Amino acid sequence: MREHTANRVFDTANFIVLLVSTLICLAPFLHIAAISLSSAGGILSGKVSLLPVDLNVEAYTKVFTDASMIRSLGFTVLLTGLFTVLCMVMTIAMGYPLSKKKLRGRKGFMFVVLITMFFSGGIIPEYILVRNLGLLDSIWALVLPGLINPFYLIILISFFNNIPESLEESAEIDGSSHFRTLVGIMLPLSMPVIATLSLFYAVGRWNGFTDTLMYITSPELYPLQLKLYQLIQNNMITDLLQNEGAQMATVVPESLKAASVIFATVPILIVYPWLQRFFVSGVMLGAVKG
Amino acid sequence: MIGNKQRKGIMGTKKAALTAGLACTLLFTACSANSGAGEEASGGSGGEGAKEHVTLKVEVFDRGNSPAGSTITDNYLTKYVQENFGKPNNIDVEYVPVPRSEEVEKLNVLMASGSNVPDIVFTYDPNTFNRYAKQGGLTDVGPLLDEHAPNLKAFLGEEVLGYGKFEGTQFAIPAKRSNVGKYASFIRQDWLDKLGLPVPQTTDELYETLKAFKEKDPGETGGQVIPLGMTIASAQYEPLIWSFIKPVSEEERHTLTQQLGSNDYPTLLPGFKDALQFMNKLYNEGLISKDFGLDKDKKKLGEDVATGKVGFYSEDDINPFYEKGSLDTLQQNVPGAQLASVDVYTNEEGKHAKPMYAPNGMYIMIPKSSERAVEAVKYLEWMATSDNLFHLQNGIEGENYTMVDDIPVAVENPSEEALNRMFNSGDMAIVSNGKQLGSMEKNLKARALQMPKKFLEQVEAAQVIANADVIEPVLMDRPIEAQTKYGTTLLDKFNEMIVKTTMAKPDQFDGIYETMLKDYMASGGQAILDERTAVYKEMQAAN
Amino acid sequence: MGWIVYFRRYWQLYALLALPLAYFIIFKYGPMYGIQIAFKDFNFFQGIAGSEWIGFDAFKEVFAMRDFYLTLRNTLMLNFLDLLVSFPAPLILAIMLYEMKTVWFKKLSQTILYIPHFISWVIIGGIVYQVFGTQSGMINNIITSLGFEAIPFLTDKNDWLVTYLLVGVWQSAGWGTIIYLAALTGINKELFEAAGIDGAGRLKRIWHITLPGLKPTIVVLLIINLGHMVSIGFERPYVIGNLAVREYSDVLSTFVYRIGLESGQYTLATVVGLFQAVVGLVFVLGANYTSKKLTDEGIM
Repeated sequence: MREHTANRVFDTANFIVLLVSTLICLAPFLHIAAISLSSAGGILSGKVSLLPVDLNVEAYTKVFTDASMIRSLGFTVLLTGLFTVLCMVMTIAMGYPLSKKKLRGRKGFMFVVLITMFFSGGIIPEYILVRNLGLLDSIWALVLPGLINPFYLIILISFFNNIPESLEESAEIDGSSHFRTLVGIMLPLSMPVIATLSLFYAVGRWNGFTDTLMYITSPELYPLQLKLYQLIQNNMITDLLQNEGAQMATVVPESLKAASVIFATVPILIVYPWLQRFFVSGVMLGAVKG
Repeated sequence: MIGNKQRKGIMGTKKAALTAGLACTLLFTACSANSGAGEEASGGSGGEGAKEHVTLKVEVFDRGNSPAGSTITDNYLTKYVQENFGKPNNIDVEYVPVPRSEEVEKLNVLMASGSNVPDIVFTYDPNTFNRYAKQGGLTDVGPLLDEHAPNLKAFLGEEVLGYGKFEGTQFAIPAKRSNVGKYASFIRQDWLDKLGLPVPQTTDELYETLKAFKEKDPGETGGQVIPLGMTIASAQYEPLIWSFIKPVSEEERHTLTQQLGSNDYPTLLPGFKDALQFMNKLYNEGLISKDFGLDKDKKKLGEDVATGKVGFYSEDDINPFYEKGSLDTLQQNVPGAQLASVDVYTNEEGKHAKPMYAPNGMYIMIPKSSERAVEAVKYLEWMATSDNLFHLQNGIEGENYTMVDDIPVAVENPSEEALNRMFNSGDMAIVSNGKQLGSMEKNLKARALQMPKKFLEQVEAAQVIANADVIEPVLMDRPIEAQTKYGTTLLDKFNEMIVKTTMAKPDQFDGIYETMLKDYMASGGQAILDERTAVYKEMQAAN
Repeated sequence: MGWIVYFRRYWQLYALLALPLAYFIIFKYGPMYGIQIAFKDFNFFQGIAGSEWIGFDAFKEVFAMRDFYLTLRNTLMLNFLDLLVSFPAPLILAIMLYEMKTVWFKKLSQTILYIPHFISWVIIGGIVYQVFGTQSGMINNIITSLGFEAIPFLTDKNDWLVTYLLVGVWQSAGWGTIIYLAALTGINKELFEAAGIDGAGRLKRIWHITLPGLKPTIVVLLIINLGHMVSIGFERPYVIGNLAVREYSDVLSTFVYRIGLESGQYTLATVVGLFQAVVGLVFVLGANYTSKKLTDEGIM
C-alpha cells in the first residue's frame, strides 16, 4: 500500500515537472509564431507575447510565394539527406573496427581521431583545401569536410562496446565475415544510437550555415539557414544602414523574419518524432542476452 | 541542378561500400577538374590588346534581400551595367557576392588564399583598409586615376580622396557621402503643451523638463515614463557626451582624440568625465532607460517610443519618420502624439556640438594581384560619368521617379517591378553613399522627399539640426597603428565604461571611473595616445 | 597470433577503416599546416608559407595580455558551473521521460522539450531580454507588481550567472536527453520486472538499474566535456552577455573573435587556439586515464 502511494506521488511530481518544463520550452516558439502572424505596429509596440496582434497571414503568403525560399527548402532537404547518409556510412565504417578490442593499432587510430577534436588548421587552409579539391560553390563543399564528427564516432563506439561480445563471437564461430556481422547483427541491435546520430548529423547540417558563408556563392545553393541568417542579420546592422546611406525599404519586416524562422524550423522539428520509432527496437537486446 | 544529378546516384545505391566508393571517385574527379581550371586561369593573363574580351570581377554586398526573379549577381542593375559599360568596352562584369555581415572575414580569406579575389573590393572598415595597405596588398591607384578617371576625380574631390591615402599613396578610392549630418533630438511636443512648458534650449533646461516629465507623467503611462530614452548605441549617447566636451586646442584635438573603428571617441578629452557624471545623475534619478546597457540594437527604445513612454531622445536624424516607423506607430497607439525635432544639448560655448560623418563612405580598393586594375578604374569612372550614377540610384523616369524642381521624387505606389528594380541600388552605386544631385542642398531635399509627406516639416528640421555645429573628424597624416590593433577592444571598453559608470551608485562613481579608465589606458589607450602625440609632432615639423 | 594469420582474419576491419582514415588525413590533417600561423607574422598577401617566422613572440604577446587571463578565468568558471548544472540536467530529464508511463504525453513533451535547440541565439537573445529585463522584463513585471524590488537578472554579475546557466539548461537539456533515451533502450527490461517483484521503490530502481545502465554514456560525455573546459561556444556568452557584466561574460571565444576577426590579428587568434587545443588534449587524456582506473570505462 505504502509503495503504491509513493509511486503515485512520484508519478504526479514527475508529470507536473515535465509539464512545466514542456510549457517553458514551448513558449518562445509560440512567441515567434505569434510575431509571424502579427501586424508591424503591434510588433513595434512590443505588444505581442504568445498571441498574435491584428492577426494576418501576409508574412506566410510572402514566404510561400517566394520561389527562392521553396527552392532553398528543396536544396536543404537534399543536402541534409545526402550529408546524413554519407556521414553515417563513414562513421559506422570507422566505429565498428575501432570498437574491436582485438584490432591492432586501435589506440593509434583513436589518437588520430582524438587530435582532430582539438587541433584544426583554421579557416584559411580549410578554404584553400576546398578550393584545391575543386569543391567551391558546390554541394560537396558542404558535405565532404564534415563527414565524421569525432564526438559522434566516440559515442557510436561506446554503444557498440556495450553489445555483448558473445553475440559477435558466436557469429565469428559460424564463419560469418566481419561485414556480415556488422550488417546482420550489430546494426539491427544499434538502431537507437544510429537513429540518434543520424538526427545529430541531420540537425547539425540543417542548422549550420557558417561554412556556406565561405564556400557558396550561387544563390541556387543557398540553404535555408543561410537565407534566414541574412534576413535576421539585416536587422542587426540597421545601425550601419544609416551609415551606408542605404534605403530603409530594404529592412525586412519582423513578421516576415518570424515566418521564415517557422518555415525553416518546422521541417527539421518533425524528424525526431518520426525517428522515435527506432528507439524501441533495442528491446530485443534484453531478449537475446548471453 | 548539381543536386538533382547526384540525387540519383546516392539514393539509388543502398550498399555502404558503393556509396563510399562514389564519394571516392568524386574526390578524384574533383581533383582533376580543378587542375584544369587552374591552368585556364593562369593562362588567361596573356595579351593586353584592347580588343580582347576580359572579365572584371566586382565585389557586391549580399544582404539576402533579392526579390523574386532576380539574384544579387543577376538583376536589372547588373544588366544595366553590362549593357552600358561592359559591352561598349568589351568587358564582362562579373559580380562576386560577399555576405554583408561577414564582409571583412570573407575578404580576409579570399585575400589570404589568393584566389577568386575580385578586381574591385571594398569595406567600410578603415582598419581593414589600413591593414591591407600596410601589408602591401593594394594597387596604387593614383596614376590610374590621373590617366583614366578625370570625371571620378572631379566627382570625389581632393578632400574625399585624401581619406584613401596611406602614408601619402592613394591605395583606396573612398566613396563620397551625400550628407554628413548624423544626429538630431526629438521631444514629445504634446507633453510640453500639456504641461505648458517651452521647448528646452539648453542641457540645464532639458534636465528640468525631464524631471517634470517624470513627476507629472503627462503621457499617463502609469509610472512607466522614460523621460530620456537611452541605449548603448552611438546615436543615443554621442549627442549627450560630445556636448560636455570642452573647447580644446588644435594639439589636444589631434592627440587626445581616439579613433576607434570609423568614429572619433572623446575618452581622453576634457569634459568626458562630466558627461558620464551627468549620465550617472540621470540614471540614479530614474530619468533614463534602466536597461539602456542591454539595448544595443535600439529595439527596446523603438518599442518605448512607439508606445508613448519616452519623452525625449536623440537618434539618427530622419530615423523616427519612416513609414510604419516609430512616429507612425506612436500616433497609432497614442492619438494626438507629436514628436518635434529639437537641438538641445549645449556645450560651454552655448553651441549644440555633435559629431558628423567623415565626408567619405566606404574604401574601394584594387588588390595588387589584380590584372584588371585599368578596367576597374574605368568601371568607377563610368559610374561617375554623365547620368550613369543618377540612373543607378534612381531607376527609370516615370516608373521609379518624376522630376520636380530638378529633384527626383519617388513615384507614389510604384509597380512591384519598378520597386524590385532598385533593391540593391545602394550597393551597386559604390562611388557614392546616398543620392548625389550636385549639391548638399539638393541632396538633403531629395532625401527628405523620400520620407512620408506628412512628416516633411519635422524631417527637414531634423536634417538642419544634424548639420548644425558639427564637430569634424580629426584626420591624421598617417594611420595610427595602435588604433588598427586595439580599436575593437577599446570600443568595447569605452561602451563598458559608459554603462558601468552610469549605473554606479553616486558615491562609487569616481572609483569605478578611475578603475575603468586605467584598464582602458592599459589595453591600448596609452599606446594610441603616444602614437598620436608622435605623429602630431611630425605633422608640426613638416609644416 | 602471427601477423599473417591475424591479417587474414581481420583484413575486413582494416578495409572498413581505409576510407574514414583517408577522410581524416585529407580534410583534418591536410589543413593543419595552418597552425604555423601561430609562429609567423601573418601577412594576408604573402599567405601562410610566405609570412615571416617570429618564433614565440606572439605567445609572449598573448600571455602578457590582461584580457587573456580574464577571459580564461571566465571560460573556466562558466564551464565549471555548466558542468555542475547543465550537465546533469538532460540526464535527470531523460530519466523522468523514461519513467513517464502516459505514452502520448511522453512523446509530446519529448518533442517539445528539444525545440529550444532549434532557435538561433540571435532570437534567443531578444527573448531573454524580454523575459529577464530589469525595467519591463516579464519576470520583473510580476515581481514588482507583487511589491518587491526588481532583480537585475542581466546587469548584476552574480544574478547574470544564474540567468546564463538557466538559459543554457533551457536551451540544451531537451536536446541532451536524446542520447540518454537511446542508451536507455539498451537496458534489460527483465531487470525491472525482477525489481518489481522485490518491491523496490521507483527511486531505488532508478538508482540501482537505470543509472548503472547509463554509466558508459555518462562517462563518455563527461570525459568529452572535461576536454572542452577551456573552450566555449561563442554565441551563448556573446548573446546573453552585455556590457554591464562584461567582467564575467567576456570569454576566450569572444576574445579571439575580437582580436582575430575584427582586428585581423590572425596570429594572436591562432596562438589562443593552439593553447586551447593543447590544454584540451591534456584534460581529455587525463580524464580518460582517471576514468579507466576508477570505472573501467573510457573513450579509448
